[in-house]
Amino acid sequence: MTRDSRKPLGLDDVFIVDCDVHANEPPEALAPYIDMPWRRSLELLGRGPQRYLDIPGYAPILNLDPPFPDRGLGNRTVTSARQMRDELDELSIDVGILFPDNLLKIAVFPHVDYAAALGRAYNAWLADAWVSRETGLYGAVLAVPQDPKDAAEQIRTYGADDRFVAVYLPVAGLRPLWGDRMYDPIYEAAEEMGLPVMLHSVGIIHPHFPFNLEHVESRIVRHPINHEFALMANLFTMIANGVPVRYPDLEIVFTEGGVSWVPFCMWRMDKEYAEIPTGAPFLERPPSEYIKEMYYCTQPIEEPERARDLVTMIDLFDGRDKVIFASDWPHHDFDHPRKVLNMPFDAQLKRNIMGETARRLFKLPVPVPVA
Amino acid sequence: MARIRVGPADEIRPGQPAFVTHGEIEIAVFRLDDGFRAYRNRCPHQQGPVCTGPVSGTLVATADTDWRLAWVLEGRVLICPWHSMEFDLDTGRRIRAQSERLRAFPVEVESGQVFVQVGPRSAASAARQRA
Repeated sequence: MTRDSRKPLGLDDVFIVDCDVHANEPPEALAPYIDMPWRRSLELLGRGPQRYLDIPGYAPILNLDPPFPDRGLGNRTVTSARQMRDELDELSIDVGILFPDNLLKIAVFPHVDYAAALGRAYNAWLADAWVSRETGLYGAVLAVPQDPKDAAEQIRTYGADDRFVAVYLPVAGLRPLWGDRMYDPIYEAAEEMGLPVMLHSVGIIHPHFPFNLEHVESRIVRHPINHEFALMANLFTMIANGVPVRYPDLEIVFTEGGVSWVPFCMWRMDKEYAEIPTGAPFLERPPSEYIKEMYYCTQPIEEPERARDLVTMIDLFDGRDKVIFASDWPHHDFDHPRKVLNMPFDAQLKRNIMGETARRLFKLPVPVPVA
Repeated sequence: MARIRVGPADEIRPGQPAFVTHGEIEIAVFRLDDGFRAYRNRCPHQQGPVCTGPVSGTLVATADTDWRLAWVLEGRVLICPWHSMEFDLDTGRRIRAQSERLRAFPVEVESGQVFVQVGPRSAASAARQRA
């Protein structure tokens, strides 16, 4: 039996791929997977006090805000694959792409060997305890920016495992930005293994541009800067240094920035390129053409007063097969899939956004058709 | 119009609502200083379980506070556990977004027992349904 095409699509009518869900990885969970001497460090951290995504030496957030009652902003965590599967079922989500919690801040660590060891431990922990084709929980290989050669080895190791479908590029506190040539080994490995790279930021206020926000009082100022502005800054450097030209088969995904900044980046970069083409000598086409070929996760989905403006926004960057759903579960600013599904998209665009585009992008198994 | 018994009035404490269900509708009954309020446990933002969130106060800075931060409405602000949307428990309106409101139901207290009236939405969603 086929569904009545006159009825609006419901959550059970579409295949939903959630391109951003977070597995909580306390230090003691990673301790068995990390090399010495770092195991001693994680064992010590595991015995110490831990606040939500705020663990010195492990999840350094530099929280300078005065607390107020009941403003925990969620503080939810998912600590097992079973819990994640159950909660995604509640949200009608078929497939989840896993990202870390604490290690969203891994790029700030000055100690290169420690950072690389943390990345290896996280990837091994994911492989051992989380990812499974049967449960629809897939991994994104953590590429530690401080050690691109080691990250490339990790990508080649886990890229051969069909439970890993992407490479996670940490953005928060990153220096230099992802367009720098030092990261070429990571892009080379990701392209070779056929894994999209996914840039993902988080709300920290140190130590580098555009995160040096320690002087800013308001969270609603800091939050879009350390998310959307950070993604924009990285995109600009990737375009200028020709990442999409030098790695033409590499798919690039931007996570946790919504979509409304994309047209600005296209038109601003095109104007700069027209005036200063020597600033991007690798390019063979205007910047906007590369930007249109990249992918953008929905969360945090814009909620304009006129919802149809969001359709216009997506059309401005020809994004009907480039926008992919993400919830950011279980974080405080997650989007329920219903929120995105109920936007005034046509049925095909809804299917594309909610799962079909991601299914192709991540080469996921074809789902059993929904009756 | 259905009349649903919630339970003894003296067992509903400030900040700790009592829940009842009517079909698929879950309703929470809150005690305020001047009586009770009943709201549907569904946030108008993303339909989260709003009434399971904490009851607290909120920060404002207005001309009345000489543009300095002030903590106000203690015990009257319901915070949705999903996205921290704030609602005034007295009126059901979203604080700082008055056009959004929780669905309200009339409350009655009779012989020490609390009842909610569940009926057509238009009548039930009046802003203030005092007991």
